[in-house]
Amino acid sequence: MFQQLPVILLIILLGAAFIVPLLGRKREWLAFILTAAVLFALFLGAIVLLFVVRYHGPFTYQLGNWPPPWGIELLVDYLAVYVLMILGTIAFLVMAYGARDLQHEIGTNVRHWYYSLYLLLLFAMSGMALTNDLFNLFVFMEISAIASCGIISIKEERRCAEAALKYLILSTLGSGCFLLAVAMLYMVTGNLNLQYVAGGLPAALSLYPYNILIALSLIIVGLGVKAALFPLHVWLPDAHSAAPTPSSAVLSALVIKIYAVAMVKIFAVFPAELFAVVPVLEIVLILSALAAVAGSVFAMLQDDIKKMLACSSIAQIGFVFMGIGFFEGQALIGGLLHIFNHAVIKAMLFLAAGLIIYATGIRRISEFRGLGMRLPLTMSAFVVGALAMVGIPGTSGFVSKWYLALGALESGKPFYIVVILLSSLLNGVYYFPIVITAFFGSEPQPSTERRDLPLSMLVPVLLLAAATIFFGFYPRPLVELLQQVLASQGLR
Amino acid sequence: MESSVYKFLPVFMVLFPICMSVVIFWVSRYSERLRNGLSVATTVVTFIAVAALYPPMAAGKVIAYTIFDILPGLGLSVRADILSFCLALISALVWMLVSIYSIDYMSHEHGTDRYYPIFIFVLGSCLGIFMAGDFFTLFVFFELMSLLSYVLVIHEETKEALRAGYKYLIMTIIGGLALFFAIVIVFELAGSVSLSEGTLVAVPSTMALLAFINFLIGFGMKAGMFPLHVWLPDAHPVAPSPASALLSGIMLKTGAYGLLRVIFTVFNIPLIQEARWDIIVLVLAVITILLGSAVALTQEDLKRRLAYSSVGQMGYVILGMVLFTERALIGDIFHIFSHALMKSTLFLAAGAIIWKTGLRNINDLHGIGRKMPLTMGAFTLAALAMIGIPPLNGFLSKLNLGMGALEAGAPVYLFVLLVSSLLNGLYYLPIIIAAFFGEAHGEDDHETETFKMSEATRGMVIPLCLLALSCLVFGLMPGNIFFELSRKAAAFLFLQGMP
Repeated sequence: MFQQLPVILLIILLGAAFIVPLLGRKREWLAFILTAAVLFALFLGAIVLLFVVRYHGPFTYQLGNWPPPWGIELLVDYLAVYVLMILGTIAFLVMAYGARDLQHEIGTNVRHWYYSLYLLLLFAMSGMALTNDLFNLFVFMEISAIASCGIISIKEERRCAEAALKYLILSTLGSGCFLLAVAMLYMVTGNLNLQYVAGGLPAALSLYPYNILIALSLIIVGLGVKAALFPLHVWLPDAHSAAPTPSSAVLSALVIKIYAVAMVKIFAVFPAELFAVVPVLEIVLILSALAAVAGSVFAMLQDDIKKMLACSSIAQIGFVFMGIGFFEGQALIGGLLHIFNHAVIKAMLFLAAGLIIYATGIRRISEFRGLGMRLPLTMSAFVVGALAMVGIPGTSGFVSKWYLALGALESGKPFYIVVILLSSLLNGVYYFPIVITAFFGSEPQPSTERRDLPLSMLVPVLLLAAATIFFGFYPRPLVELLQQVLASQGLR
Repeated sequence: MESSVYKFLPVFMVLFPICMSVVIFWVSRYSERLRNGLSVATTVVTFIAVAALYPPMAAGKVIAYTIFDILPGLGLSVRADILSFCLALISALVWMLVSIYSIDYMSHEHGTDRYYPIFIFVLGSCLGIFMAGDFFTLFVFFELMSLLSYVLVIHEETKEALRAGYKYLIMTIIGGLALFFAIVIVFELAGSVSLSEGTLVAVPSTMALLAFINFLIGFGMKAGMFPLHVWLPDAHPVAPSPASALLSGIMLKTGAYGLLRVIFTVFNIPLIQEARWDIIVLVLAVITILLGSAVALTQEDLKRRLAYSSVGQMGYVILGMVLFTERALIGDIFHIFSHALMKSTLFLAAGAIIWKTGLRNINDLHGIGRKMPLTMGAFTLAALAMIGIPPLNGFLSKLNLGMGALEAGAPVYLFVLLVSSLLNGLYYLPIIIAAFFGEAHGEDDHETETFKMSEATRGMVIPLCLLALSCLVFGLMPGNIFFELSRKAAAFLFLQGMP
């Protein structure tokens, strides 16, 4: 019975995306309820799948009962479940927050379209997590790109349209690269199913080494653009800062990570000998190190709070890719763990920034003076986020850095620890002054938080902040899950 | 039955202040008096809890257990042995006296609603450092303490304070990251960061050296070791005086405690001696001693002079731990006690002067001793102890350190100690002489001749005098409990450091 669950989840998401705009024309609240319910269903479904996978092991589902070489296959393994859980949790909390936030950010006439696009985006991302087919992956990538553009440009401002266009162009370029790579892999192996490709690659490697190499580089570029891996990040700061707050949160927390997950899935397909000969992973590592430092430097230069958070995402995605670049042991656990940790932290920070903008209209960090007194809870959540970004022990940011650092030592590359530390220090240099300006050096002001902020916006932020601390002290279940991810992917 | 109480005590003394800080924060909305009372009561109860641990600790028992594992091999754990007891005892004692002093001192300050909860919370995290059973727990509390004491540093929220605080914060982050690096390396090399498993790294290697250097950066930064002391002379003077007393008196010692653990538990004496890593520490310690004392001479601001003096005094502590003789180690640990008492006395006295007269510059303090004899008397006693005049406690620690240096066959360090003592004399004595015998500026002679007392309030003078007297009591007096504890702790550490 649970065999059908993954496809049911996808169908619910897709179906709801079509029903919501119809409902929302007359009754907007109904559209919202449906959206929230579907997202909650995604979350519940992910939990059920987690237990199914834990007790019965990973399983596949054949769409339309077509067997693999021809039909599309969904693979429910530990990685897919892990990603689905992140998607469900964060998307639900962000949408709960969005109910009120969107009322002041986008017009009434487009709000139900927003829900629709949001569901479509979640559908695409869940699909990417589940699918076991290269071309299907490409299709989901395209849906995700279009939906992302939609939720950026839905705010009718000039800079949103500009940012969306920039994203669209670069993202299409990335998709093009990826499609070419898929074609080349199909050419040499005759298959699109990942497991069959994996089976065919060792033989093809000796016959068509260049095709495979070019495919690999195209994949890195294609997914790199979409995941905003330095130096392909240029679209990110504009797109993530111009969008409405819930979009920014989802884009930074989930969308860029899903491409990193796709990269893990595809890299696992290539034979290990290839990576031993060609320094592909080295390149990813170097890029990630550059990203970790450069992103932080970009963030230091920003005065707009959302732009700063967006730039910080460039640095943090660098950590995720650093784990992928090591592609083994503790470092990969660290990288994958950072997908979750950063999703929680960055969603929280974006939502907190949104709260500040909602309550006061202030976007510039230099005007934050005294905000700590006016919005104590929001700014406290911000403090937690800042601490986690620096990697203070007791926050979840520490745990992912701990694993990355251990992995770097295991692989005999302590240089990358220095990169992690440098990036953390830079994080401190730009996150802490915000907190300091907000709390100290101004006349005490009465708190207006309860009056200015609805609970539906405040609670998700506080929940995410609590999660940041909780998973700082109890990351065990996540780590154990990731160890199983590694084991099931046939990695050390 | 009894042992289970002892087992519970280390957790209690850490969690009780932390929980109380929330209560105090909540109470401060309703009543200032209740808030102040609760703050003092919390420190008193905590002190009693620490002191109650004396019987098992003095008997040489070790309380160590794991509370829960965060990750395999990495968890929150407790360990109380004689060394951690020594530091916890002095911390709780000074904290208690300073909290009494705070009530009057802070009565005219703004932002007291955040001062007291943080003050109490930092006590909890400070004890957490000492009661930690592994480097991860220690690191958690170390960061908690360092980050929260930022709020104490910038309490006055002037531009100067914020600038100093920023410097402090950045240095704290750097130190924290260095510790992170070191702990990761030790974990990778040894598979554990527990303090209870004996020597963790016994083989010298490049990675081990890297870990050692990073530990040195992380803890040395906190302890004000050259060249990482740069935040200290800015941060300590700008804080309110009770906070300065704790920053200089207690929180610097957490760095020293960390280094002691690193040298004697993570590594061991033969390893460090063979690999000649002690040279690094010795050179830095000597520079710290001489630089701190010399720069203190040039400072005009009283609290800045005291802060630089702390740099010099922490140099003694760092020096003592790498001489590797038991005698030096006794002096080292006893100096942690002495310096905590002396420096908090000095800062509290300076605070009383600032509170009463608003004077900070040393040149303005002429004749202050005639107005505030008790305060300046306490100051004098502590300053003489600082110089190392017998029978005060500073003499005893310097005596042991010096004899330890001779036993280690390195009389040059004795010479360094003497030079530093001379410098101490040069910068403390003029203050005292001017205070008692100098002519006050701007007043005519007749008025200064009259002996007119105008002391700070009793709530400030009593803790101050108690601390000053303790410099005398815990000097050459018989039955010096702190010295006994230092002897036991040194013997314990020395055994642990020798595999």
